[in-house]
Amino acid sequence: MIGALKYESVRIRTIASSYWMSALALVLTVAIALILTLAVNSAMPSEMSLTQVTTWVITGGGSAVGMPIVAAVFFATMGAMTMGHEYRYGTNKATLSALPDRVAVLSAKVLVLAVWVAAVSVVILLVDLAIAGAFLHNFDFTSGALRPMVNYVGYCVGFALAGFSFSAIFRNQTGAIVAVLVWPLVIEPIVLTILRAIAVNTSAHVGRIYNLLPASAGRRSMFDPYDLFASLDIPNSGIWGLGASTLIYWVAVLGLVAIGSAFFIRRDA
Amino acid sequence: MALIQARALSKQFKGKAAVKSLSFDVIPGSVTGFLGPNGAGKSTTMRLMLGLDNGEGVTTYDGVSYRDLKAPLRHVGSVLDAKPFHPTRKAVNHLRMLAVSNDIPTTRVTEVINIVGLGDVANAKPKTFSLGMGQRLGLATALLGDPGTLILDEPANGLDPQGVHWLRNMLKSLAQQGRSIFVSSHLLSEMALMADHLVVLGRGSLIASGKMADFISTSHRNAVVVRVDNPELLTRELRARNATVVQEPDGRLAITALDSDAVGGLAHELGVRVFELSNRQATLEEAFLDATGASEEFRASMGFGSSAPGALGGPPAYGGQPGYGQPPAGYGPPAQQGYGPPPQGYGQPPQQGYGQPPQQAYGQQPPQQGYGQPPQPAYGQPPPQQGYGQPPQQGHGQHPPPPPPQPPPGREPTDDGEPR
Repeated sequence: MIGALKYESVRIRTIASSYWMSALALVLTVAIALILTLAVNSAMPSEMSLTQVTTWVITGGGSAVGMPIVAAVFFATMGAMTMGHEYRYGTNKATLSALPDRVAVLSAKVLVLAVWVAAVSVVILLVDLAIAGAFLHNFDFTSGALRPMVNYVGYCVGFALAGFSFSAIFRNQTGAIVAVLVWPLVIEPIVLTILRAIAVNTSAHVGRIYNLLPASAGRRSMFDPYDLFASLDIPNSGIWGLGASTLIYWVAVLGLVAIGSAFFIRRDA
Repeated sequence: MALIQARALSKQFKGKAAVKSLSFDVIPGSVTGFLGPNGAGKSTTMRLMLGLDNGEGVTTYDGVSYRDLKAPLRHVGSVLDAKPFHPTRKAVNHLRMLAVSNDIPTTRVTEVINIVGLGDVANAKPKTFSLGMGQRLGLATALLGDPGTLILDEPANGLDPQGVHWLRNMLKSLAQQGRSIFVSSHLLSEMALMADHLVVLGRGSLIASGKMADFISTSHRNAVVVRVDNPELLTRELRARNATVVQEPDGRLAITALDSDAVGGLAHELGVRVFELSNRQATLEEAFLDATGASEEFRASMGFGSSAPGALGGPPAYGGQPGYGQPPAGYGPPAQQGYGPPPQGYGQPPQQGYGQPPQQAYGQQPPQQGYGQPPQPAYGQPPPQQGYGQPPQQGHGQHPPPPPPQPPPGREPTDDGEPR
């Protein structure tokens, strides 16, 4: 396992895409934080407290409805590349020749990817925090911001692992990137729209299905406050609590990791 | 310096057997060539040996399976793909990444990258590498742990002649140090120079395993060739002694089951004048084609202009082989049937058959070699127009000038004295 960790740590540090993806995540999120800061400075949202506004800026818009987590897109791509490169360039044979223990290889990849993404996510939050502290007129950072920030990091790590797992399942980098982006950005919004339409016109509690959409659940886990934005105007949605939403998200992510791992371990190189 | 023992290796793809209960040994201190037609299962076998594919059977390296080796790169080096690296990761980083995984000192990275001649491009991205440079980087990967065993799949692909020469010498040198070298290649002439032992595969099954000389000696192309003034008498007497005799298009007799001493002695006893008596040694390519002809996975259904046995596109069946009995359709009648216009097929440029490796035209010797050096049409290749090259005035009983000494077919001396 130590050898696999050494291998993976050199692998991720010696590929330009690791830096490109991380840099894009950082730059774009910081840009969003700056734009939000300027917007809030000119017109304070009436429905948000000072603390919520501060958290909103720090998380690059993540703590409220409407703004996608831009960094997660790049981390998901990076995750897809972590495994996708092995298949695309045939390096899996060299990897597994050096490290025949596939469980160790897989564990090292997951661990190193998660640590990398978590570290970059923390850096993003810290830079955003610095921006908010420096430029936000009504800066009010409290411990209440910590939960959305922690879940922001978790959300990014989860997306990276989802991209990684889709690559292991499909053995195709492009397909994995498409899948990991289409799910939260296309599939779940479509499902949400349909559920909302059905829920509005019937008395059925179909809105509760919304609870099971993993990307939405992960996204909800960083809302501040959680219950303010949770229902998303779905009648009878019966949105589950923070713990349940976080659990749904991670069950989905770890389920994907388990499926991808099984494929990686059982398939021919 | 590991003894490789492959036992009962088997692998199926969607119900079709790619490798069938394959067992063989690779002996330390030797280069063992791994031969087989396309689709025979060579690459699959190598992946099974390295635990990369799931299959049946076991391969051990001094009794230890690959997956149980501690720091496997220190024991077994392998190259299975021509460019098994990320195109934008620097060559030195690719090697460093593998080195750290097996606790190989990073100083070794610099060593191997210089050994393979990539020192000047160590910090370049492999996307700029040629196929040959990619092969060299792959070889550097294999040599990284200074392993006692090398498993190489087509390592000469893409190498220029200098690179092939370098590879050959390096592998032979490594074998002389006591290492086990297991290498597949379609370059049979190269393999003939490099390998000491062979494992020959056909349709996933073992066809032959052992010393190369033993393998070549099994070829039907090995024969005693004699040219005499009374071939009918000699043929009759030879057959009476259970020898197999085939009259070649140029009138020579190709004899198997008796050695040249016996043939010469019999001719003397019969009072038959002998103009030529020689041993014809099969080449590795001929022996390989003999051995694998029936197990070719992807065979062209029709050659250029003929689908007869022995026509372009597939190795001929014995008995219909050029030079053995009747020449195949398209080669025209034997030369002794007339000296008129060249028969159909003569005069066509030699063409490679589909599915066959490039062949040196054994027997397609230049006309200036004259009488006594009749051509032996290569498999699937028509002989040159002058091939049967007996001018009308040269009939039986005439004494042509003796042929110049020739190396065995396909083994021309090179500048460094090695046969090629």
